[in-house]
Amino acid sequence: MLKHFILLFFLFLVFIPSAETRVYLDINAPAFVQIPIVTPKWKSVDKTPPALSEKAYEILVNDLTLSGFFRVIDYHRLPINLRDKQGIPAGILLQEWIPAGGEILLAGETSLESNGLTLRLRFHLFDLVEQKHLVGKQYEGHLQNLRNIVHRVADEVVLQLTGEKGVHNTKIAYAVLQGEGKEIFISDFDGANMKQITQNHSLNLSPAWAPDGKKIAFTSYLRRNPDLYLIDLDGKNPHRLSYYPGLNVSPSWSPDGKQIALMMGMEGKSDIFLIDANGGNPKKLTKSHGNEASPSWSPDGKRIAFVSDRSGSPQIYTMATEGSDVHRLTYEGNYNTNPSWSPKGDRIAFCGRIGGRFNIFTIGIDGTGLQRLTSDSGNNESPCWSPDGRYIVFSSNRTGVSKIFIMNANGINQRSLTQSKGGESSPSWSKRFE
Amino acid sequence: MVKKSLSLLILILCVALIMMGCPKKTVVKEEPSVKKSEEAARIEAERAAKEREAKEAKEARERELARVKEEAAKKEREKEFEKSLVAKKTPGIEGEVFESSLLKDIHFDFDKYDIRPGDAEILKENATLLTKNPKVKIQIEGHCDERGTVEYNLALGERRANSAKKYLTSLGIAADRISTISYGKERPLDSGHNEEAWGKNRRAHSVILSK
Repeated sequence: MLKHFILLFFLFLVFIPSAETRVYLDINAPAFVQIPIVTPKWKSVDKTPPALSEKAYEILVNDLTLSGFFRVIDYHRLPINLRDKQGIPAGILLQEWIPAGGEILLAGETSLESNGLTLRLRFHLFDLVEQKHLVGKQYEGHLQNLRNIVHRVADEVVLQLTGEKGVHNTKIAYAVLQGEGKEIFISDFDGANMKQITQNHSLNLSPAWAPDGKKIAFTSYLRRNPDLYLIDLDGKNPHRLSYYPGLNVSPSWSPDGKQIALMMGMEGKSDIFLIDANGGNPKKLTKSHGNEASPSWSPDGKRIAFVSDRSGSPQIYTMATEGSDVHRLTYEGNYNTNPSWSPKGDRIAFCGRIGGRFNIFTIGIDGTGLQRLTSDSGNNESPCWSPDGRYIVFSSNRTGVSKIFIMNANGINQRSLTQSKGGESSPSWSKRFE
Repeated sequence: MVKKSLSLLILILCVALIMMGCPKKTVVKEEPSVKKSEEAARIEAERAAKEREAKEAKEARERELARVKEEAAKKEREKEFEKSLVAKKTPGIEGEVFESSLLKDIHFDFDKYDIRPGDAEILKENATLLTKNPKVKIQIEGHCDERGTVEYNLALGERRANSAKKYLTSLGIAADRISTISYGKERPLDSGHNEEAWGKNRRAHSVILSK
């Protein structure tokens, strides 16, 4: 299957990029203006069913919108004379697209090989302001992987215009309330392919992707104790990893995948422990008399952020992975929990209570530069960064029920992940799947 | 002079003879009376022994009666406890446990895990029940209200369950009869979103693992 996948996902360049890389959008700026991007209809080449192009177009426009970097001008919003134009224009005809009102033109076409299985997507990017061709690429794969192929196109567009690849081929794991219990689910970045991983009717909590993206660690009450389990993405091979009496919850993988930090209750209260990835060799890191919770590893593997109420209220701290060199990070508010260390290492996202409501904040690892990302939108909890550090996924009950939301790391473009009925919590973001 | 001395000696001897003979006579005379009093004592002792035996037997009967009564009362208590048990099976969680209306919940303040004075009295009653039913093993569940995060509430629930356990062991209940489990905010008793519901949900609840 994997071989099949790799074979069909063979990528090749059709054109050498004609322009040197220019970053159109500095997404690290505190407030950026979205790039207006014109996206005419895609064309079906030869006998390719038009429905395929329509589907690819729909997924692509959604991807670009979800990225938060673009103001997408889709074909519905084009002047009448351009609305039905399909496919890739010849370079000399770029002028006619100026009235569309965008800075960038993204045009493409789909073709299905005569075997009816291999799908090819070809796209070109043009700079409408400077009237020049930027890049053209072609991707191919099995028809049934249509969504992934389109996500690769979207990732490439994001790379060309922002300087870093997108995260459209990532997944998000989370817990979903089902009756009295909770089950672990995963969805793609765009909310598609929602899949139930656990089917044990138990209470399953706090999923955490292994760094290689092949397994998920989570806690289950299956054996009448909150034990830590590992499970494959297809729900197979559930394996009980850590099952000391009391808590074995809130796993956070070391970046090298060799160790897991977690909350354990071996001494009658919750402490942060380190275990080997096979569940052995538990080592207690925290030494205070308080409740210690929610470990999150730094991307360089040297420190761990965690929650402690040793000061009288839950606050965010960091420590070295030996448990030494403890620093308190948060001083504002009296309920700060759920730290998540950014992949770039410079900031920590957390959940803080303000005015009786829970909201998402980020703070520099030296405790400066506190930034509030959510407000006036119910309770917002459990932040987790995307692998590129440009998004944060979290849970929010702003619609009345708890659902998974995604926003850009500066708080803009907040949207719900799926169209589910709710009851979702504790999201965890995977690495990029190639 | 010699004659006078001799007659005095004879007199002395006679007196001595009389004096020596007298006790002999007395002993012989007294023997029957001693025998008589020993018999009386024996009879008396036998009577006393019989009385004692009767008393002991009566006491034993009374003790037995009391024991039977106590046994019956214990059985009654056990029956009462037994009667209070309701089997509970939770989907997705291994094993069957029992709920008893005689084992009472205690409650906590927001973000706290210390035992309040009123709740200490409840735990004392629970401890009495456990003392009277020495085979019973329980599991104390620590629960929280919906506010706050999943993980921090799991830590808080762990502390609440262990607070209750510590209090019961301080009252003499063996620690190996009490296990703990934290459900955090995952198993609310009242699904409401107000102070009243939250107050009910911040609790340590006991279930019976084996009876």
